[in-house]
Amino acid sequence: MDKKICAYICTGCGIGEALNIEELSGIVSGEMKTECKDHSCLCGSEGRAFLEADKAAGINTFVVCACSPRVMQTEFDLGDDTITVRANLREQVIWSAGQAEEGSEDSHQEWLNETAGDYVRMACARAKKTDLPEPYLLETLHKEILVMGGGLAGMTAAREASLAGSKVTIVERAAQLGGKALGWTKQFPTKAPYAELEAPTIGALIAEVEADANITVVLNTEVARIGGAPGNFGATFKPAGTKSEWDAPAKVGVDEQDRISKGEMEDPNAGLKPYAKNNGDAQKFGAVVLATGWVPADVSGYEHLGYTDNDRVVTNAEFEKMAKDGKLSGMNSVAFVMSPGGEEHDQDFPYANSVTSMVALKQAKYVRENNADAKAYILYQHMRTPGNMEMFYKGVQQDDGIFMTKAAVTSVTPSGNGCTVVAKNTLLGEDLSLDVDLVVLAAGMEPTTKHENSINLAYRQGPAFLDLDLFDGYADSHFICFPYETRRTGVYTCGGVRKAMNMEESMEDATGAALKAIQCIESADRGVSVHPRSGDKTFPEFFMQRCTQCKRCTEECPFGALDDDDKGTPLPNPTRCRRCGTCMGACPERIIGFKDYNVDLIGSMIKAIEVPEDDEDKLRILVLVCENDAYPALDMAGMRKHKISHMLRFIPVRCLGSVNMAWIRDALSAGLDGAMLIGCKYGDDYQCHFVKGSEIANKRMENIGDSLSTLGLEPERVRSEQVAITDYDKLPQLLNDFVDEIVELGPNPFKGF
Amino acid sequence: MNVQPDLDFIKYLKGAGGDTLKKCYQCATCSVVCPLSTDDKPFPRKEMIWAQWGLKEKLVADPDVFLCHQCGDCTAYCPRGAKPGDVLGAIRAYSYTHYGWPGGLAKLASSAKGLPMLIALPALVIFVLWVISGGMTIPSPETFSHYGYQQFFGHWDFHWLSKNVFFIDIMMLPAAGLAVFAAYRGVSTMWKAMAANAGMESAFRPSVLQFVKEFLWPSVLEIVQHDRFRECKTNIDRVKGHLPLMLSFMGLFTVTVWSALANDVFGLWIPALHGPMSVWNPIKILANVSAVALIVGVGILWSNRAKAEADAGATGTFYDWFLIWEIMAVGVTGLLAEIARWSGLAAPGYIMYFLHLVSIMMLFLYMPYTKFAHLVYRTFAMAFERYRDSAYGKNPLDQ
Repeated sequence: MDKKICAYICTGCGIGEALNIEELSGIVSGEMKTECKDHSCLCGSEGRAFLEADKAAGINTFVVCACSPRVMQTEFDLGDDTITVRANLREQVIWSAGQAEEGSEDSHQEWLNETAGDYVRMACARAKKTDLPEPYLLETLHKEILVMGGGLAGMTAAREASLAGSKVTIVERAAQLGGKALGWTKQFPTKAPYAELEAPTIGALIAEVEADANITVVLNTEVARIGGAPGNFGATFKPAGTKSEWDAPAKVGVDEQDRISKGEMEDPNAGLKPYAKNNGDAQKFGAVVLATGWVPADVSGYEHLGYTDNDRVVTNAEFEKMAKDGKLSGMNSVAFVMSPGGEEHDQDFPYANSVTSMVALKQAKYVRENNADAKAYILYQHMRTPGNMEMFYKGVQQDDGIFMTKAAVTSVTPSGNGCTVVAKNTLLGEDLSLDVDLVVLAAGMEPTTKHENSINLAYRQGPAFLDLDLFDGYADSHFICFPYETRRTGVYTCGGVRKAMNMEESMEDATGAALKAIQCIESADRGVSVHPRSGDKTFPEFFMQRCTQCKRCTEECPFGALDDDDKGTPLPNPTRCRRCGTCMGACPERIIGFKDYNVDLIGSMIKAIEVPEDDEDKLRILVLVCENDAYPALDMAGMRKHKISHMLRFIPVRCLGSVNMAWIRDALSAGLDGAMLIGCKYGDDYQCHFVKGSEIANKRMENIGDSLSTLGLEPERVRSEQVAITDYDKLPQLLNDFVDEIVELGPNPFKGF
Repeated sequence: MNVQPDLDFIKYLKGAGGDTLKKCYQCATCSVVCPLSTDDKPFPRKEMIWAQWGLKEKLVADPDVFLCHQCGDCTAYCPRGAKPGDVLGAIRAYSYTHYGWPGGLAKLASSAKGLPMLIALPALVIFVLWVISGGMTIPSPETFSHYGYQQFFGHWDFHWLSKNVFFIDIMMLPAAGLAVFAAYRGVSTMWKAMAANAGMESAFRPSVLQFVKEFLWPSVLEIVQHDRFRECKTNIDRVKGHLPLMLSFMGLFTVTVWSALANDVFGLWIPALHGPMSVWNPIKILANVSAVALIVGVGILWSNRAKAEADAGATGTFYDWFLIWEIMAVGVTGLLAEIARWSGLAAPGYIMYFLHLVSIMMLFLYMPYTKFAHLVYRTFAMAFERYRDSAYGKNPLDQ
């Protein structure tokens, strides 16, 4: 594309009054050698017409020097064949300037213009380096959806996808569809007044699925491995319970590979096809819905509840089976124990969520319906009945023979033909001892991902989801912001494997997963990113000739988008990619970049910052700001007119993970006096949109601090900070404190070299 | 505590106005809003879960159940519509039956099913006595204007005891005696259960005098002054009904005692004391004022009750309405009988007088088993509350 660049300075919103527009135009047309125009209201209809007229006259790259790039995006989008670059003169210059101190109006005006000048320079530099993106398109796109697991969630997902027009294959390990729901005697109420249990509906769903021409059901079958990427997954099936040479290989790192070659360690993947090996017979799919469900949790670890050696103590799953098999006779008093902690703690059984509360209510009803004189005791620490299920709770409460109290159950001992349950801290004001025929423990629902790989991906980063330790065995899903996502693009979990949930919740969840799968396939079809940069046409491009096979990109990609060949050269899978640029930040050879975001581009922006020499009052500090949370927080600080030091220059980045340390070195060698990274919180409750980006950036910054000291620069000149989007009122303080520290350190000694 | 929920007890409470008891989810809003609840083990939250669990033995031995004045604040504020006030009322109703003696009579008085029997029993007794007394005649206008109802059961010349008084005594005294005995028996059983339930092993017991002085009299005083009733917010209007009603009962009690003395004792020497009193006789004035206060008071309670049921969702029960109807019947029949006497309408007057006697006898006879029993049970529960917190209620060895 032959670029014709023009810069437009908007003088609306107070920009014209606060800044010297003539001087700014001079910078653009002189220093930056770019045509420059101004307009009193660029985002209005006249302004739009003004831009469109220029487009008709041949301008295809628009440098809009106005408000934050987060606002007026459609107003300044002049079409797919154009590039728009923004300079944030409003939120981050004039709105963050504060009031001039008395007697220093001139210097206030001076640095205000300097700041604005730098933003205009950076925008012009960016415009020159930005190219039009060309979407990545697969040679052949496969649209069929693979659903793993033929239980309630899997069948619902298949059915919903089919209703939306997709072809679906359900792979079920068992000999029949239905999963756990086949064993339920009754279901929770689904309609007002939510008081009565309902007859199971799973049979009707099975019939629907079997009659659906869009759905292929494969029984007695497991997925050996899934290779490929969204739009082009290749799934290899095998008979359930067997081993296959196509089983997904375990991850073997560089060190492990060394030990294997030295014979110090057995190859865990002996006899298996390498992960990158393509199976020509594999069935092709566009996306995967993982609905492999859950297994009842083991409760034998709680000795005081006596599950192991008392046959009158059963789990809720076992009790459900007793009810289903009609074996409740003689069960005239039953105690349901919800929490195993005794007096130690009040937590429910692990993996309970709200489901076990409702199951206890349901099963108490079984006891009562079986015998009108029977008594059911529910001893809970938490009664969780979300939404309309509160009505169900109320309904069960009405039953004369169901007795509930919050209680710490301290022991269950055999007595006669039954058990004696002792409970403390009850609502009745004293300790209870209950003689019952049976005790039912409210065991939780453990996701299958806790016990096995489940998804069986043939990826370089291994066959399972990552970070399962952090999430108790549930797939890492960025639970705070994007609960549907896994860290494997195109794979969506739903139902019991994602969270302990009841049938109604599972069905809703499965519907969502089906829609996500369709969205993923459609995005792959258009060659754009699916999440969280939905619709982004750019993707990382690799200049492979210069690759040194260091494997940093393949290791650090938070989403396992990069496989590699035998030598370690990365094999990108753009449809798995989320466009965070973590690979770009990792690459020491700087060979990875996007059309509109690369090492050279940001480097040029940094170099465009004017660095005044020999002036201790005019230090320059680079701040690379994550555009997901930190940049909006910064804008909000501006909207609230919080004063931010004029020495700072902000550049938005896709994710801190994309920050290449070359930029920090560029900045300091260009004479800037400090550099700061602001990103999202990381750790157990991470908020990073790309899960690992800010954490990785923080590590890299620690390392660069070391190398700065070898150059004789204070490591305090660089820093990494984490903020939440709501921290807009704390952000100015954090920034200004850093400026004070840099002022304390004095100017960069390399200035002027 | 080994718990054995009593399903029948729960069923009873549900049928006796506590149909909402299972709705409680123990948020304790009731105990917070209750103006009468105490800081230590407040009610009615704990009573609600005991009721849900069918813990009959705990509830009948719980003084808090009787300390409740059913002002309805808890019911008004309950977020679940569990109506704790009504549930406690049902528990009280159960307790009166539980402590009632003889059991058959107590049970009969506990439900609307027994109502025909409850009316028929005194009606039959009085009718039979009327028949065998030989009165059995409607008097001439002259006799009626002179004697009023003094010869309802006829007349004999035995100077020391008039025939009428004799017959009234032989029916009313046993009825009242039975009631007093049943109440005494019930209250003392309750007291023991409460003491046992509170875990009191007192080393000392107060003398009767001490008991009355330190525990009973202050409670009576509190009741007369309606101190607790006045704490109520939602149904504060009930004070306007209950206070005149209570005072009228006290007035009528005074009148009755005076009449008994005048007719049965002083009348032996002063025959003029027999026969209807002048309207301007202070005793008669007290009687008439009390009668009007009684009707007004119970009328206010009647309308309050109806309003509470219509607006606040209180549950209408036989237990509550029986007492209102009965007191209304006493007042109305008495007043109509008096009006009939003034008007010289002998036949209607005699019928009214008969009904008046029936309603009075019902009041006496069923006092220990119906809502009227709160007269003694609540008084003694309040005394127990004082007793429990006093030095007598504590084992000195534990102090």
